[in-house]
Amino acid sequence: MATSSNPEPHWLGSRRRLLGRIIGLRARVSLSYALGALLLSTGVAVSTFVLAQRQLLAETEEVAIDQMFRNARDLRRDLLFEAAAAEIPVFLEGLVRTNNAQVLLLPRGGEPRSLSGLEIEDIPVDLRAQVIPGQAAKKHFQTNEGGQFASGVFISQIDAEYYEILPMTEFEGTLATLRRILIGASATATILGAGLGYYLARRILQPVTNAAEAAEAIASGDFDTQLDEQSDPDLAKLTRSFNDMVEALRSRIERDERFASDVSHELRSPLMTLAASVEVLEHRRDEMPEAARRATDLLSKDLRRFQRLVEDLLEISRLDAGAVQLENDTFEVMEFLRRVVAQSRTPGVPVETEEFGALILTADKRRLHQVISNLLDNARKYAGGATLILVALHNDRVRVSVIDEGPGVDPADRLSIFDRFSRAGGDAGRRDIAKGVGLGLSLVAEHVRLHGGRIWVDGQTPTGRGARFVLELPGIEVDATGEMEELAT
Amino acid sequence: MRQHRGVGTHILTVEDDERIRQAVKLALEEEGWDVTEAGTGESAMDAFTDNPPDVVLIDINLPGMDGFEVCRQLRRESDVPIIMVTARADTHDVVAGLEAGADDYMTKPFAPKELSARIRAMLRRSRNAEQGNMQRVKVGELEISPEEGMVMQGETEVHLTKTEFKLLCELASQPGKVFSREVLLERVWGYDYFGDGRLVDVHIRRLRTKVEPDAASPRYVVTARGLGYKLQP
Repeated sequence: MATSSNPEPHWLGSRRRLLGRIIGLRARVSLSYALGALLLSTGVAVSTFVLAQRQLLAETEEVAIDQMFRNARDLRRDLLFEAAAAEIPVFLEGLVRTNNAQVLLLPRGGEPRSLSGLEIEDIPVDLRAQVIPGQAAKKHFQTNEGGQFASGVFISQIDAEYYEILPMTEFEGTLATLRRILIGASATATILGAGLGYYLARRILQPVTNAAEAAEAIASGDFDTQLDEQSDPDLAKLTRSFNDMVEALRSRIERDERFASDVSHELRSPLMTLAASVEVLEHRRDEMPEAARRATDLLSKDLRRFQRLVEDLLEISRLDAGAVQLENDTFEVMEFLRRVVAQSRTPGVPVETEEFGALILTADKRRLHQVISNLLDNARKYAGGATLILVALHNDRVRVSVIDEGPGVDPADRLSIFDRFSRAGGDAGRRDIAKGVGLGLSLVAEHVRLHGGRIWVDGQTPTGRGARFVLELPGIEVDATGEMEELAT
Repeated sequence: MRQHRGVGTHILTVEDDERIRQAVKLALEEEGWDVTEAGTGESAMDAFTDNPPDVVLIDINLPGMDGFEVCRQLRRESDVPIIMVTARADTHDVVAGLEAGADDYMTKPFAPKELSARIRAMLRRSRNAEQGNMQRVKVGELEISPEEGMVMQGETEVHLTKTEFKLLCELASQPGKVFSREVLLERVWGYDYFGDGRLVDVHIRRLRTKVEPDAASPRYVVTARGLGYKLQP
């Protein structure tokens, strides 16, 4: 599909890129801060966890061993004097057992005595290997119920091994809680870091954001935009040169506009005299000799052509100077097109659509009138007139196709046909001027671009012959409900 | 002269370019109007007092007192139909000219035939405005009497130009109904569908400053969003 214009004005594209760059930088700074916060808080959290774990473990062991020794001492005292085997459970019952510690008394050659079903198999073999020779020993090990801490001592006076096994569930629970708290804190710190980064980046990049917004305003024609003076010397330079640039741009555009308006005035004045004088001549045409009459006809025809060319040139120069502001109106497309066709020199061209409801378009009516007239004129001059105007919706845009059954446009010329004084079709450049559309299609393209739309030409006509000029415009709404207000008739 | 469409109708043209003035005078006389010329704003004011015209044609670019000022001064003492001549249609000049009190505008170079058509539409308008065959309309404090060519706001008479009056009468012909800009352009100015909607907008604005108690929040002449205007019954 050949298109003469980008789907959007090029400055819009560059604005997106500019904004993208700022967001990118902002995101990068935020990310760096978040990463920094993550590393820092993770480091702190991990070391906190390790230290706490060690400390907690040491304390738990100390308490457990302490208690084991105290219990062993009590047993020794009780059993030394009243060594009735039957009474052992009573003594065991009387021991202090914090944290659900399990105890096991293992007299040499006698029955192991325990509470809560602790068996001799439950005691790690290597622990016993250390205890039996007379050492106090401790050991961590795992069972199905989780981590366990076992400590034991040999009570030589009563010739028995004594063990206590402490389940570590509480210790592990504490650690799990600690871990959760630390992970939560790290995550919070990371998010805060990202937030801080974003805030700082925004503050630091504020001048750049301001510059981008100002540039945007300038691109859309507001040359009164200035950046505020900055006290920071680095930023002051940016601000100063930016403001200077805007000023230079403004005066340049003003100069161009003034030139266009001066030229316009200078050209219009003699044209006005010519137009009025020629009309007097036309009025008196019947009183003239044959030669004067023919000369008058030539004069009035070429005066119209000259006027048209001057108008087009001035419009182009205003467009180039960026001095054209659209005057948007809201109107119904089908009625508009039928009126344009009725006023044209080919008033019989049908205007059709398969859409339902009123197609309400917001656009510059005067310029769009010019666009459609130019397309109809073009078809009349090169293709024996348009045969059909088709209106269709395409996504959220409206497409107006002006179709003819002429010789069509060579694919190689489908882009350049919208150039100024286009040379499409060999020596057609001169012919174009002679026929008065030297600027017509390029103006069409400029106006369509100004509307944020696009235009192209192809050969996709219903008959397969001729050319199809497709005009695609935004700003269309379908009103299927009909008018809400009652219209005067 | 073969056509005498405007016999006795007197037009004052204010234009500083000597040759344009002569050519336009020739062409307008050819159409059958009586033409008086003025080269400056000051001499235009004198000519106006000496021999009051039926229509005034003012070029905006005048040396010294500019076209807007001439327009404003004329408006202070007369409701004579005024046509502004501007260089371009898409400048602020058009709106400024209309706000200064002009009834219509033409862009240079125009065809004098087209200008004649505009003048005829204007004169028809001022005659219709006085005659009228409409009933008296009263909305709120506002009373419109088409026959007398009079508008009363409570006890006081509102002074409107011919165009403003015709515009108000159009809206009052069907109170509550919405008139699109196109319909108003056709009925009040005699334009086809492609007339300049700003003519309507500026005249509505001017009308509001005269008939509305608060022009910023109109009670009578209200806007129907995107469609046009209506007289709120």
